[in-house]
Amino acid sequence: MKNYIKKIEIQTTKSEEAIDITSLVKNAVEKSGVKEGIVNILNLHTSAGIIVTEGLVCLEEDVLNCLARLAPASGNYHHRRYLDKDGRIAFNADTHLKSMLGGISASFPITEGQMVMGSRQTIYFLEFDGPLCRTFCVQVLGWE
Amino acid sequence: MRIDFHTHPLLIREILEKDPQQLKATWDIFKIRNNPQPLKTFFLEMDISGIDKAVLLPIDCSTSRKCQISSNEIVYNLCKENDRFIGFASVDPLQKDAKVKLINAVKNLGLKGLKLAPELQEFSPKDRTIAYPLYETAQDLEIPVIFHCGMSWEPGVKLKYANPLLLEDIAFDFPDLNIVIAHFAWPWVLEAVTLALKYPNIYIDTSALYFDSPPEFLSYVMTKQVPLSLIERSLRRQIIFGSNYPRVEIKNMVQAIQSLGLTDGCLKLIMGENAQRILKL
Repeated sequence: MKNYIKKIEIQTTKSEEAIDITSLVKNAVEKSGVKEGIVNILNLHTSAGIIVTEGLVCLEEDVLNCLARLAPASGNYHHRRYLDKDGRIAFNADTHLKSMLGGISASFPITEGQMVMGSRQTIYFLEFDGPLCRTFCVQVLGWE
Repeated sequence: MRIDFHTHPLLIREILEKDPQQLKATWDIFKIRNNPQPLKTFFLEMDISGIDKAVLLPIDCSTSRKCQISSNEIVYNLCKENDRFIGFASVDPLQKDAKVKLINAVKNLGLKGLKLAPELQEFSPKDRTIAYPLYETAQDLEIPVIFHCGMSWEPGVKLKYANPLLLEDIAFDFPDLNIVIAHFAWPWVLEAVTLALKYPNIYIDTSALYFDSPPEFLSYVMTKQVPLSLIERSLRRQIIFGSNYPRVEIKNMVQAIQSLGLTDGCLKLIMGENAQRILKL
């Protein structure tokens, strides 16, 4: 069995945004050479997410707004204190909670070299604390 | 024009590729442990914060820590290629050629001010032998001097040289020298404000965050430790916006200042016009 791992960087440009990464994932699957197997997409951050939904600008906004309602920036969080390991004050509990609520990974089967996806499914990288250069990991497991 | 008067050119990938030692200086001496980011992230951070220009502050602590936390040359190179940056110099007052280095940084590298961190560089800002020649030079060169004041996270640093009252003699002896007290000198906010009320050549930057969140902390400092009316009525021309990026994101400090309830006129002064004046922009 092949275990193909690719880390992909993306530069986010806003404080919060949804970035369609479907083609980046498909390209990684193609490059892996795996014909039968599974692809896992994992965000490597704790203040960003990976989701799957319909690829519409209106929905992108709705998803971000929904998460902002669930974890408002102005909430009374304990995570507002000096963190010695970072040398700085942490005050982004809302972004961590959004990441947790929205999820940080997605998986799709692969058959005949293609990802098995619904016609409306789009894979998004969600930024909650940008702009930053971010990394997500694509793991392709299977047989060539 | 909106200016962030307090940023550090640290943890920038393009710089670390050329000078890997900077990572150790930043993580271990200055103790900011963010992951490095491309330079583009710095500009995007300025963009979403509505900041046009950023002052870059290096710290030369060659004697006390055997390193420079960024350098005049790094700042010069960044400014040469990016007109959104305004570079300051730093020299180590404990080195005999500090004065010559300052003159070179201003006249040949085009740097626009002097950054000193007495608590990290381990000198008394009142020292007439080692520090006063630098103030004379800065006054002659007509550049501002920004001092770290107040709380510091850096390991091994003692705060005895970070009390803003140590700057009173300098403000008195060099009336034509513009002096910027960084970080609101927290916790010595009243001392900093007292100096600013007494000396027109004293300015205070807002780059302070030591607990809670930026809106909570700046609200505490600027509306409770001192009343907002004091800033509006008496110090509106002496408060300068600074973020302390990358220790704090610029966007969060901008939002915090904007949420205090300052009038538009006062905000314009704090967010840019005061900095423009002392930088002669």
